[in-house]
Amino acid sequence: MRRRDFIGLSAATLALSACEPLARLRGLGIPLSVLRPGMADGHRLRDAIKLPEPGGELSTGVAILGGGIAGLTAAWRLAREGYTDFILLDGPEPDGNAAATRFSVGAENYAAPRGAHYLPLPSRESTHVREILADLGVIRANPQSERPEYDESALVHSPEERVWYQGAWHEDLLPTRALPEAEAAQHRRFEALIASLRTARGADGRKLFAIPIVESSRDPVWRALDRLSFAAWLRREGYTAPSLLTYLDYASRDDYGAGLAGISAWAGLHYFAARDGRAANAEPGAVLTWPDGLQTLARGLGKYIPAGQRYAGYALRIEEGRNGVRVLCRDKDGKVYTLNARRAICALPLHVAARVVPNLAGYGFDARRHLPESAPWLVGNILLRGFPKEQAGVNLAWDNVVHGSRGLGWVVSTHQDLRAARPAHTVFTTYRALADATPRAGRDLLQRAPDTELLALALEDMEQVYHPLDLWRRMQAVELILRGHGMAIPRPGYLDNPGLAALRSTDGRLLFAHGDLSGYSVFEEAAWWGDIAAQRILKG
Amino acid sequence: MFPAPAKAVTLPAMLDRVLILSVFVVASCGLAYELVAGALASYLLGDSVLQFSTIIGCYLFAMGVGAHLSRYVRDEDALARFIDIELLVGVLGGLSATLLFLVFAWMSAPFRSVLYVVVFLVGVLVGMEIPLVMRVLNRHRAAFSELVSRVLTFDYLGALAVSLLFPLLLAPTLGLARTGFLFGMLNVGVALWTAWHFRAELGGVSRRLLRGGVILILLAGGFLLSDRLTHWAEQGLFGDDIVFARSTPYQRIVVTRWQDDIRLYLNGNLQFSSRDEHRYHEALVHPALAALPGARRVLVLGGGDGLAVREILKYKNIDSVTLVDLDPEMTGLFTTSAPLVALNAGALRDKRVKVVNADAGQWLEGDVGSFDLIVADFPDPSNYALGKLYSVPMYRLMTRHLAAGGYLVVQSTSPYFAPHAYWCIDATLREAGFQTWPYHVYVPSFGEWGYILAGTRPGFTPPSQYPVATRYLNAATTAEMFRFPPDMTPPVVEPNRLNSQSLVRYFEQDWGQVIR
Repeated sequence: MRRRDFIGLSAATLALSACEPLARLRGLGIPLSVLRPGMADGHRLRDAIKLPEPGGELSTGVAILGGGIAGLTAAWRLAREGYTDFILLDGPEPDGNAAATRFSVGAENYAAPRGAHYLPLPSRESTHVREILADLGVIRANPQSERPEYDESALVHSPEERVWYQGAWHEDLLPTRALPEAEAAQHRRFEALIASLRTARGADGRKLFAIPIVESSRDPVWRALDRLSFAAWLRREGYTAPSLLTYLDYASRDDYGAGLAGISAWAGLHYFAARDGRAANAEPGAVLTWPDGLQTLARGLGKYIPAGQRYAGYALRIEEGRNGVRVLCRDKDGKVYTLNARRAICALPLHVAARVVPNLAGYGFDARRHLPESAPWLVGNILLRGFPKEQAGVNLAWDNVVHGSRGLGWVVSTHQDLRAARPAHTVFTTYRALADATPRAGRDLLQRAPDTELLALALEDMEQVYHPLDLWRRMQAVELILRGHGMAIPRPGYLDNPGLAALRSTDGRLLFAHGDLSGYSVFEEAAWWGDIAAQRILKG
Repeated sequence: MFPAPAKAVTLPAMLDRVLILSVFVVASCGLAYELVAGALASYLLGDSVLQFSTIIGCYLFAMGVGAHLSRYVRDEDALARFIDIELLVGVLGGLSATLLFLVFAWMSAPFRSVLYVVVFLVGVLVGMEIPLVMRVLNRHRAAFSELVSRVLTFDYLGALAVSLLFPLLLAPTLGLARTGFLFGMLNVGVALWTAWHFRAELGGVSRRLLRGGVILILLAGGFLLSDRLTHWAEQGLFGDDIVFARSTPYQRIVVTRWQDDIRLYLNGNLQFSSRDEHRYHEALVHPALAALPGARRVLVLGGGDGLAVREILKYKNIDSVTLVDLDPEMTGLFTTSAPLVALNAGALRDKRVKVVNADAGQWLEGDVGSFDLIVADFPDPSNYALGKLYSVPMYRLMTRHLAAGGYLVVQSTSPYFAPHAYWCIDATLREAGFQTWPYHVYVPSFGEWGYILAGTRPGFTPPSQYPVATRYLNAATTAEMFRFPPDMTPPVVEPNRLNSQSLVRYFEQDWGQVIR
């Protein structure tokens, strides 16, 4: 008889937790901030009919336009080689996708990423990344060897990752052991294929899948995969296990911002086969991470910029003239001026470059045909007091993923702390690529959706796993970062995009550098093009 | 509360109200025992969903059995049996939480069986209550539909009241044991109240009242003494008299005393016994300090009991000792409690000693100067968080604070019982760039125990004499410590890299084979 009261009590609890999240946030006094980095400035630029007149003039040797990883790497290379006659103009968000946030609670600061949060161990081909890591002290010894020695505090600490599958946590991201043999057999087949592809070389003797992508083999047999979608290739090869497809779809959204059907099969395999870096002091497949994600690296690179040469503000127009490059800039107070440079590096995402460089077609890039589609992203930083209760005997991991969710799980910012006791607070960073509809529809959602809906998207995975009341009573602050153009999507055919090829080889007064030039967005590619541009400048 | 019956009310109607109030109280008590059992089982066994589900299931089923059994009570006995049952429920339900806690403390194996037997018995008795009340009322009244409606209304109301009071008020303020006693007294109160009001219908009222009164006094005594009872239960866990017990945000600290033996337990793990701790602490401190005659500054990480500091302070050349321990309760206890201060010879009150309550890693990341000796006396690496204290980055942090020619000494679990863990710590120190000199000592209350002495320069010779008074160490015992017999040969192990945390796995596997 008393069972009914129990049900009644549970219903009351459920009613509380089903109550509209923003109202609860307000009711509980939890501050929410919603950031749309660059969105307002970008749209003003897009919609501008007439550009303002400059009120001043400035000149420099090299103008680096954009303070993301490409621009910062270019600055690092120039400064490292003793070439310091340059100015770096940050753009609307310093550090770009490597930006981070800091929450202050009393005397303590808790950093967390606003974008990219890890770097895989660089492969042999990523010599530039190894050089950067050695300069920043992340590689302690033998940077260009097979297995460099890394600073362990940056190697992800165990337990690294776990997946929530059927109401319980499993180690790793694919719950192979919890699945029937027929599915597990497909997992093993896929893993074996990837293992062989990691070392495979094409007819031209190059690795089939390399980072940077331009170092990959040009063997047409393998490049043919770029004409297929990853979904079609998986079907063709008989990969049908739902658990495997769910996992691969997760990986695809996580790295490329689009599902299996929306990316090139070559890109899908590249994701798994190209990351073969090793460390003397870590397991294969380990990654590098910091509490603030990749901002530690961005900050390290930024330290190479001589004082006073990193400007806030952004470029409105970039034009090549007879004697150099004229850049119309707006500073942080809204004043407009002209920056004259002998040479310039346009380290901007291509959808911005398409608006800012009027003569982009003259460099061989026709935005209407060659601009890669970009994926909208939602990143949520949740400051928590203490840690939500885990199932008995289960340890919180660094990366926590819900199998089959449309979210991409969350990472724990305090995971790498060298602490015996848990900190009083922590930040869980949740990720979500809006890959359910077209990128445009996703961007519309980011622009127009009420905060409630965005918050619900950010919290979806955590609410599936933790008791909602436990989670909500720990929340101290929430920050949502909306990135309309989070990353370029490697659609089928992206490898042979002639517009990208043209910008990659440009070596005039104006140079281009950005991860977009590779057709997808990772630190290694952005740094590669920043480094290449700087080296072209150093050659004079 | 139920108002005192007015004179004008007819006898049967007033008696009905008494019974209806009883229904409210009885319903409250019934749910309370179920909640107490569920909460206690969740607290002691974990997995609250499992505990609550199985206990509710068992309880509801038992109530069904009770309802079935109620048919065997004759109509004319219904009221008398109801009173008997109330007394029984009061005793059994009231004692249930304390009984279960004592069972858990003294014999952990049959705990689940006792739990479900208790839950079942209480459930059977509670299941008989309502059918009996309804039958009693039915004898007085004709309108059955109204009767059912009223009884069930109050039944549900009582349950609702407790389901809200229990988690919000009772469990947090009274605790489980006292909540149990409180509801037991209410049940007995119902029995006494009912017996008194129906004294005209019942025979032998004074006997019933006496019986009820005795039980009420017992339960009230239990209510007042339940703190003592849980204390005894914990003593059952530890075996000796508990002189101090406190839960801090970091750990549960328990100090026991049996005759002249004082023992410290953290989270149930023995940290020292005063009978042989001198072996452990002499071995931890003296080989390194005797080899550093010019040492002036020493850092102790962990070791909030001050026993290592006591040994360090024996050296006149030491100017300052910094003790970094996470838990202020721990260092506070060993600074103020007379028997414990006697044990560490007032080490933490010494003016050369500075006590810092901080996380060792966080503290070392700051600018804290350099030390001639660092003593890492951390808890064993039994989980990922503690494993970080035995990692390459942690040892590199320590190197940064080690003076030229200084030493680091690390308590390193047992090289006999946990050889993989022990030698993993050795490998980790080497990976962090140290030369190492492993050694071990027999501590009767621990068994064979291990340490690793580490330095950045080659060459260490175990001391052949000590400039301070020692009870265990001399030239012969010292030489023995640095020799490893053939049954303690080092296995092949990986260093403890944070990326894989091999040490925590070694530690679990090694001790898993020792402890049955």
